[in-house]
Amino acid sequence: MSTLHLLVLAPFIMAIFVPFFYKGFRRIHTGWFVLALPLLLFIYLLRFIPIGEPLQVVKETMDWVPSLGIGFNIYLDGLSLLFALLITGIGTLVVLYSIFYIANKKDEPLNNFYVYLLMFMGAMLGVVLSDNLIVIYVFWELTSLASSLLIAYWFHKEKSRYGAQKSMLITVTGGFAMLAGFCLLYIMTGTFSIQGIISFFAESGAIFNEALFLPAMILILLGAFTKSAQFPFHIWLPDAMEAPTPVSAYLHSATMVKAGIYLVARFTPVFGGTPEWFWIITSFGLLTLIWGSISAIRQVDLKAILAFSTISQLGLIMALLGLGSASFIDNVAEVAIIAAIFHLINHATFKGSLFMVVGIVDHETGTRDIRKLGGLMAIMPITFTISIIGIASMAGLPPFNGFLSKEMFFTGVLEATTLNIFNVQTLGFIFPIVAWIASVFTFAYCMIMFFKTFTGKYQPEKLEKKAHEAPIGLLISPIVLASLVVIFGLFPNMLSYTIIEPAMQSVLPYVSDPYINIYHWHGFNAELFMTIGVVLFGTVVFLNLKRWQETTFFLHERDPLNRFYDGGLEGLVAGSQRVTNLQLTGLLRDYFAYMMVFMILLLGWTFFRYDAVAFNFVDVSEISPYLWIITLALIAATISVPFIQHRVTAIIVVGVIGFLIALLFVVFRAPDLALTQLLVETVMVVLFLLCFYHLPELRKESFKARFKMTNLIISVGMGAIVTLIAFSAHAARHGLSFEPISQYFVENSVPLAGGYNMVNVILVDFRGLDTMLEVLVLGVAALGIVALIKLKMKEGQDI
Amino acid sequence: MNNIVLLPVLIPFLVGVILILFRNQLPIQRFVSGVTTLGLVGISAYITYLIYQDGIITLELGNWPAPFGIVLVGDLFASIMVVFASIVAAACLFFAFQTLHPDREKYYFYPFFFFLLTGVNGSFLTGDIFNLFVFFEVMLISSFVLIVMGGTKYQLRESFKYVVISTFGSMFFVIAVALLYSVTGTLNYAHLAERVAEAAQQGQSGILTVIAILFLIVFGLKGALVPLHFWLPNAYFGPPTAIAALLGGLLTKVGVYSIMRTHTLIFTHNQDFTLTIILILAGLTMFFGVIGAVSKFDFKRILAIHIVSQVGYMIMGLGIGTTMAIAGSIYIITHNMIVKTALFLFCGATEKVTGTTNLKKMSGLLKTHPYLGWLFFVAAISLAGIPPLSGFFSKFALVLGGLEAERYFIVFVSLVVGLLTLFSMVKIFMYVFWGSPSLSPEEVKKTKVGKLLIPGIPLVIISILMGILAEPVYLLFEAAANQMLDPSIYINSVIKE
Amino acid sequence: MEILMILTVGVLVSVSTYLLLTKSLLRVVLGIVLLSHAAHLLFLTMAGLKEGAPPLLGEEAASYADPLPQALILTAIVIGFGVTAFLLVLSYRTYKEHKTDDLEKLRGSADE
Repeated sequence: MSTLHLLVLAPFIMAIFVPFFYKGFRRIHTGWFVLALPLLLFIYLLRFIPIGEPLQVVKETMDWVPSLGIGFNIYLDGLSLLFALLITGIGTLVVLYSIFYIANKKDEPLNNFYVYLLMFMGAMLGVVLSDNLIVIYVFWELTSLASSLLIAYWFHKEKSRYGAQKSMLITVTGGFAMLAGFCLLYIMTGTFSIQGIISFFAESGAIFNEALFLPAMILILLGAFTKSAQFPFHIWLPDAMEAPTPVSAYLHSATMVKAGIYLVARFTPVFGGTPEWFWIITSFGLLTLIWGSISAIRQVDLKAILAFSTISQLGLIMALLGLGSASFIDNVAEVAIIAAIFHLINHATFKGSLFMVVGIVDHETGTRDIRKLGGLMAIMPITFTISIIGIASMAGLPPFNGFLSKEMFFTGVLEATTLNIFNVQTLGFIFPIVAWIASVFTFAYCMIMFFKTFTGKYQPEKLEKKAHEAPIGLLISPIVLASLVVIFGLFPNMLSYTIIEPAMQSVLPYVSDPYINIYHWHGFNAELFMTIGVVLFGTVVFLNLKRWQETTFFLHERDPLNRFYDGGLEGLVAGSQRVTNLQLTGLLRDYFAYMMVFMILLLGWTFFRYDAVAFNFVDVSEISPYLWIITLALIAATISVPFIQHRVTAIIVVGVIGFLIALLFVVFRAPDLALTQLLVETVMVVLFLLCFYHLPELRKESFKARFKMTNLIISVGMGAIVTLIAFSAHAARHGLSFEPISQYFVENSVPLAGGYNMVNVILVDFRGLDTMLEVLVLGVAALGIVALIKLKMKEGQDI
Repeated sequence: MNNIVLLPVLIPFLVGVILILFRNQLPIQRFVSGVTTLGLVGISAYITYLIYQDGIITLELGNWPAPFGIVLVGDLFASIMVVFASIVAAACLFFAFQTLHPDREKYYFYPFFFFLLTGVNGSFLTGDIFNLFVFFEVMLISSFVLIVMGGTKYQLRESFKYVVISTFGSMFFVIAVALLYSVTGTLNYAHLAERVAEAAQQGQSGILTVIAILFLIVFGLKGALVPLHFWLPNAYFGPPTAIAALLGGLLTKVGVYSIMRTHTLIFTHNQDFTLTIILILAGLTMFFGVIGAVSKFDFKRILAIHIVSQVGYMIMGLGIGTTMAIAGSIYIITHNMIVKTALFLFCGATEKVTGTTNLKKMSGLLKTHPYLGWLFFVAAISLAGIPPLSGFFSKFALVLGGLEAERYFIVFVSLVVGLLTLFSMVKIFMYVFWGSPSLSPEEVKKTKVGKLLIPGIPLVIISILMGILAEPVYLLFEAAANQMLDPSIYINSVIKE
Repeated sequence: MEILMILTVGVLVSVSTYLLLTKSLLRVVLGIVLLSHAAHLLFLTMAGLKEGAPPLLGEEAASYADPLPQALILTAIVIGFGVTAFLLVLSYRTYKEHKTDDLEKLRGSADE
C-alpha cells in the first residue's frame, strides 16, 4: 500500500468520518472539514509535475484478487496526472463553493452530500490512476453510483429522482458493456493491465483472436460514450442538472463526464490507427458537437444551456481524439491530440466558472429562466465580470484560452482533411463544415447567455428574491477559475511541456520530443477566417432568434430522443406485465399444462437425439393368469376414474385401485410391501371420506371440448413418455450386467444383522436413516395437520 | 473425526424433537433455537475448515460399507452450502423472534424450523440418491407446513397449489430413481458415477442421458427453473416475511445443488448436450424471472420472483462448465443466500413500519428511517452486481468464465438481466425510500425499527466482506469447483474406504 | 410381465395427469394418489420381476426377489401417505375458507 494508494482511498476514509463531523459539530458547516482533503491531495500531486525534465512515471502495485487477475495497481503518467489535478483542484474549489451555496439549515442533509461527493472524488481518482481494467471498472461504477445519488440529493423532488434513475440506467448499461469489452481484451492478451495490453499489441507478431478485436472496441466505446454523454446517450445530462449546482460544476462538466474521454485517450494506443476507431469516434463526436450546440439554443434554463454546451464541447474533444488517432499512421494528425488535451483543461476552467456563475444567479435571484432575467449587470458587477470572461472564452474570443483551443480545433480538423487514409479523401470535407456550423451555434448560445442575463431590462417583478451581489465566499472559486482562463490564455505555453506534453506521451507513446508551441497570432490563415465567420454568423443567428424559435423543432426544450427513453421504459414495464400474466395465471391447471408439455418435449427431444428408444421383449418374465385378471381390473378401474361424478364412488374406486396394487405386490413376491399398502390404503380411504364428506358433489365439468382435448393429449403424452423411458431402461438393464447392491443384503442379512426378513433388515438396519427420516415426515405431517386445523389467523396479523 | 459430518443433520433433528415438548414455553424455545443455530454456524464452519485442510470427510452410517449402506459425504461444496444455510437460518430465526405472531410460535414453528434445516443439511451432505429423496421430503413437508401455517385464506389457496406441484415433482423423483436403479443397480453417488460411466462406454449413454434430463426436470422443479417455476411467486408471498425469507434462501438452493452435484459427478457423459440444455434453461430462467420482477409493484413479490432470476445465474456456471464458471456459480449461490435473505428481512422491517408491502403506498422512508434505507440500498446494489460487493465478483467470474468458453450469448443475456435487476431494485428504492415521507412524525415515533435491523446487519457485512476479501473467498470456491470437476476424488474418498 | 406392467404404469400416469389437469380439488388430490401408485409400481417393475422367492431368508430358496426396491417403495409409500394426508386436510381447509372447490375460482388476481 503506497502513498498513491492512500491517495485514492483517502476520500473514502474521509467519507466515513463525515457523519461524525456533521452530527458532532452542527454549527460549523461540514464543508469546512471536508475542504482540507482535496486541497491536500492537490498540493501533493503538484510535485509530480515535471519542470524541465521528463515526467517520471510512477507505478505501485497491490494484490487484490490475483486468482481473477485483479490487482489494485497504480500507474501515474501524464494523462492520469492531468486528470488527477483536475479532480482534486476543481474538487477543492467546488467544496469551497458548496459551503456558501448549500446553507447549513436544520433539515439539510449535508452529511449525505459530502459523503457522496467524497465517494465520487475517490472513485474518480481510482479510475484515472488505476492500471488494472477491472479496478477501473469498479471505480467507474462507483462514480455512476455517486453521481446518481448526488443528482437525487433532494430526493423528495420527482424530477431529481427521475434524473438520477436515468443517469444510473444509462451509465450502468455502458458500464456493463465496458466490462464485457475488458474481458474480451483479457481473453485476447492474457492480462488486465492497460500497459500490458498496450505492449502486447505493440508487438508486431502478437497472436490473438482477431474476431474479438472489433467487438471489444465497440463495447468499450459504449462505456465511454454513455459516460461522456455522446449522442445518442446524452439525454441523461440535461436531467442531471437537477443536482445542486456545485455538483453540476464538478461532476457534470469538469470531471465525471470526462471519464469517457479519459478512457478513449487511454485506449488510443491500443485501438488507434484502425479505421473503425477513427470513424466511430470522430463521427459520434462531431454529431454530438453539432446536436449539442443546436439544442442549446432552444433552452430557457441557464443550466440547461450549459448542459447542452457541455455535451457539445465533449463531442468536440471526442472528435479531436478520433481525428488524432490517425497519428499512428500520419503525424500531421498530432495537432488534434494536442488540441484535445488543451481544450480539456480549458473547458474545465471556463465551464466550471460558468456553472458557478449560474449558481450564483440562481442563488441570488431565485431563478435560472432567461425569460425572467435581465439587467443584472449593474446589480452584480463582479459576477458579471467573471461571466464575461467565461462566456467569451467559451465563444472562442481572444485573448482567452478558449480562443486558443478553438483555433487549434479548427487546425486539427483542417489538417485531418489532408489525410490520405481511411477514405478521408472522399468524406473528410465534412469535418470542417460540421465544426464550423457547430461553432456558429456555440457563439449564438454564448450571446444568449450573456445578453439575456446581464444586459437588457431588469425585471424584478418576475423574480422571487431581491437580487443582489453574491457573498464573497461564493465568489472566490469562480474568480479563481476565471483567472485561470485569463492566465492560460495569455501564457499558454506554461502548460505546454508541463502538462500537455506528458499527457500526449500517454496517448501517443511513440512520439518523442514533440514540439508544442501555442500562441495567438498565426497570421491570416483559414482558422482565423473561420473564426471571423463564426462571429458574424453567430451574431446573425442570435439576432434572428425569434424566427428560429418558431420552427417546431425549436419549440420544446426537451430533447426529442427522450421520447425513446421514456417510451422504452414504459413499454418495458407494460410488456413485462403482459408476459408475466401470461405465465402466472393463477390456475393450477395452466401451470401443470406448461410443465408437462415442457417435460414431454424435452424428454422426447432427448430420446430422439440419442436414438435411445429401445425395446427388449425377450428377457421378460412369465405372466400367470391371475396376474392378467388383476391387471385388467386395475386398468379398467383407473380409466373409469375421470368419468365418475359421485365423490364417494370416486374415492372408493381409487381405494380399490390401491387394493389391487396390493394384490399385485403379493403376486410379485413382496409381502411386506403388500401389507403396508393395504394398511395405508385403508387409512387413506377413511381420511378421504372424512374430509370430502363435507364437500360438494363433483360436478360434471363443463368445459370446452378444446380444453378437454388438450388435457387428453397432454396426459396421453405423459403416459407415453413414461412408458417409453421405462421400456428403454428395461432394455438397457438387460444390455448391461451390473450386479445390484442388494446382493450384499442377501448375503449379509443373517450373519451381520441377524434378521431373516431382508426387507425389514434393510429398513431398520442397513438403511435405517431413511426410516428414521420417514417417521420424521409422518411426525411433521401430523403436527402440521394439527396446526392447520387449530390455527386460523386473519391476514396481516403479523409480518 | 468423521462423525462430525453428521452433526449438521443430527443436531437440528434432536433439537426439533425436544422443542415439541416445550410447546407453550416460548422463552425456552427461543433461547434454545438461537443458541443452536449459532452453534450450527460454528460447527459447519469448522467442518469446512477440516475439509479444506484434509480432504473429503465421509461417514458410513451404521458402519455399513459404501456403497451398500447410506453414506454422508462432506466435500467442500456441500459443507460450504451447509455453512451458508446455517447463516441464513440464524438470521431468519432472530428476525422471527421479533416478528412472528405468538400463535404461530406456539404451534410448533420452532420444531418445523429445525426439521426444515435437517432436511436441507441432509440434502447437501448425503451421498445416496434415495436418501436424497427422503431428505428432500423432510425438507418439503416442513416447508409445506411453514408456508401454510396460520391458515389465512391466501396462504391456504396458494399452498395447495404449491403442495400439489411439489408432490408431483416428488413422484417423478421416485420414478427417476427407479429408472436409475434399474439400469445401474445401485443408489450410492460414487458407485453410480462409476457405473454410469461404464454403462455409457458400453453404448447405453442414450437412455442415461434421458434419465439425466429427467433428474434435471425434477430438481429444476424444486429449484424453480423456468418453465417449472410457477409455484414460487405466490407461495412465498403468503407466509410471514421471516418464513418467506427462510424458504427463499434455502429451498431453491437445494434444487440447484442437486443439479450441480448430479451433473458434475454422475452424469458426466454427453455433456455437450446436457450442459447446453442447462445453459438454455439458465438463460430462460434469468430472463423470465427478471421480467416478472420488473412487472410487479409490491416489495415482497418482487423479491420473491427475483429468486427465479437468480437461480438462472446459479446454473449458468454449471452450463459453462469451466472451473472459473463453477466457482462463480458457487459464489453466486452463497452471495444470493446472504443478500436475498437480507433484502427479505429489510422488506419485513418496512412492512412493520408502513403496514404494507405495496410500493405505491409508501414513500420517503429514507428520511424517517435512514439506517433501514441505507442497509437496503447496499444489499440491493450488491444483488444487482455493483462492485466492490459480493454480487460483482460472482457475476464477474461467470462473465469472464463464459467469455473464455466462448458462450457469448448467455453472457450477453446475463448482462442484460443484470441491468433489469438493477432497474427493479432501483424501482423499489425510489418508491419506498425516496420521495416525500408518507408517514407523519407521530407515526414515525411509534415504529422503531432499530432492533428489527439487527439480523440483517451481519448479512450485509458478510456481503461487503465477500466482496472486498474476494481473493480468499474465491480460492475456497475454486477449490470446491476443482473437487467437483474431478469425480475420481469423490469416488475414491467414498468407495475405497 | 414387465411389458404388461409398464403399460399399466403408463395408463396410471396418463389418468393421474389427466386428473391433475382438472379444476376440482378432489380430482387433483386423487390424481396425486394415482400418480404415487404409478411411481411405486414402476419401481417394482423396473427392479425386475424375475422368478424367485419372497425376500425372506427363512425360505432358503435358490434366488430371491430383490429386497432393496421393496424397502425403498415401502419408505416411499409411507412418505406419500404423510404428504397425502396433509394435502387432504389442506384441501379441506381451503374449501372451508374459500367456500369453493373450483380451482378456476381459486386463481387469485395478479396483484392480490
